[in-house]
Amino acid sequence: MDDVAGKIVDILKKHMKEPRDDIGLTTALTDLKIESLDLAMIVFDIEDTFGIEIPYNANEEAADFKTVGSVVERVRGLIESSGAAAAKA
Amino acid sequence: MVMSGAPRRVVVTGMGVVTPIGTTVAEFWAGCRESRVGVGPLGGFPLEDLKILIAAQIKTFDHKARLGHFKRDKIILHVDRYSWFAAAAADEAIKQAGLEVPFANGYRVACIIGSGAGGLQTVETSYRDLFILKKKATHPLTLLRIIGSSAAAHVGIEYGIKGPTFATCSACSTAAHAIGIGMDYIRHGMADVAIVGASEAVINYGVMRAWQAMHVLSPEGIFPFAKRRNGTVLGEGAGILVLESDEHAKRRGAKPLAELMGFGMTSDSKDMVNPDIEGPSEAMRLALADAKLAPGDIDYLNAHGTATTINDKNETNAIKHVFGKHAFELAVSSTKSMHGHPLGAGGGIEAVACIKAMQDNWVPPTAGLDEPDPDCDLDYVPNVGRDKAVTYALSNSFAFGGLNAVLVFGPPPH
Repeated sequence: MDDVAGKIVDILKKHMKEPRDDIGLTTALTDLKIESLDLAMIVFDIEDTFGIEIPYNANEEAADFKTVGSVVERVRGLIESSGAAAAKA
Repeated sequence: MVMSGAPRRVVVTGMGVVTPIGTTVAEFWAGCRESRVGVGPLGGFPLEDLKILIAAQIKTFDHKARLGHFKRDKIILHVDRYSWFAAAAADEAIKQAGLEVPFANGYRVACIIGSGAGGLQTVETSYRDLFILKKKATHPLTLLRIIGSSAAAHVGIEYGIKGPTFATCSACSTAAHAIGIGMDYIRHGMADVAIVGASEAVINYGVMRAWQAMHVLSPEGIFPFAKRRNGTVLGEGAGILVLESDEHAKRRGAKPLAELMGFGMTSDSKDMVNPDIEGPSEAMRLALADAKLAPGDIDYLNAHGTATTINDKNETNAIKHVFGKHAFELAVSSTKSMHGHPLGAGGGIEAVACIKAMQDNWVPPTAGLDEPDPDCDLDYVPNVGRDKAVTYALSNSFAFGGLNAVLVFGPPPH
């Protein structure tokens, strides 16, 4: 697990009542008992940590939030595109 | 407090609204008749980095024209937007009721006008003034504009209301709670007249950012019960009713518009945002029991219908739970599809929609319902309103925190 993934797992654990040590990239968010408001707070924390914005709609099925790995991929993509935008600016 | 005797019947003798599809009852109802949708591009303030760029805003409200005639309240032209809406709606309602104001018997009149968030426009302006522009002082009326009781106080001052005067606060159920409490006071003899409802005016940059952070607003529009629904759209406005005891109305020769027959309130006690089925179902059952009606008596149900994935499905299931087979004979519509989600004011505006539906025997539509969600399979009066005999109507309000309030209306008693 790289730095980005590691930070994300730390954020997830911070928001869980009973943090687990066995969280991997294939772990489903539903397995971690993360519900709508928890997700909003976790996203907020991730956005703050990485200086990115993760737009999503809680009314829609978000494939990005199915597993820990999908969250990591989404964040990586946003970091790259915000880095590219900063480089252009 | 003087509560005595047998419960008295409560009638509605006046109505007033300020909404994104009409700033009087006549305009609003004409809007419903045309399936007018008040959602449009956000405006009136710098949008900066906002991601959600739509709302149902009231763009044609002239506070000087609507409130310039106020005599007793000397500062009404300087209050928060939410108080302007409340005052204008109360003015329309009291005029329709034909009540003599200022009230001669002021202590027998209640004024319960709530707001979900009160003077948030003033909060935002004051924040910018104090913290960003570093002005030397905030405007002297700042505090009075912000507090959630100011609309009730201003209306009370103007009309000589000296009885119970305060605000309710229960997010999207605020107006319904105000109306229900006013009904109770009249029923049990504590007041003879009550000016009740709520007002909300919170569309500004800070509030839009706060709502965005919850990720429940739709970037496209408000489509209750539709397969394509993906969130709610913020609105603003006010809905106010004049309630009276039937005897009081008869004695002064007033013609009631409707009877307020029942009120049910419950709390889910579960989650701040995700509704349960039990709380809403029980609130509907309690309202029907209070009205001494059976589920089969209801002809029109004005849904809470916020167009979030979860509310519309949960509300549909709760309706089926309570009404059984009759659920499929009901006309159910969400007028939020037209006036947006006016938060605390919703229950007041929707009470007016119910009363108009009964007066006209015409049910307003759920606009934008191109293709219904298979999970939402009731008759939501899609797109266009229609003629239907409406003797009894029920209105749902289900708020954040699982706070539920349901009202039942019937025809004027003979």
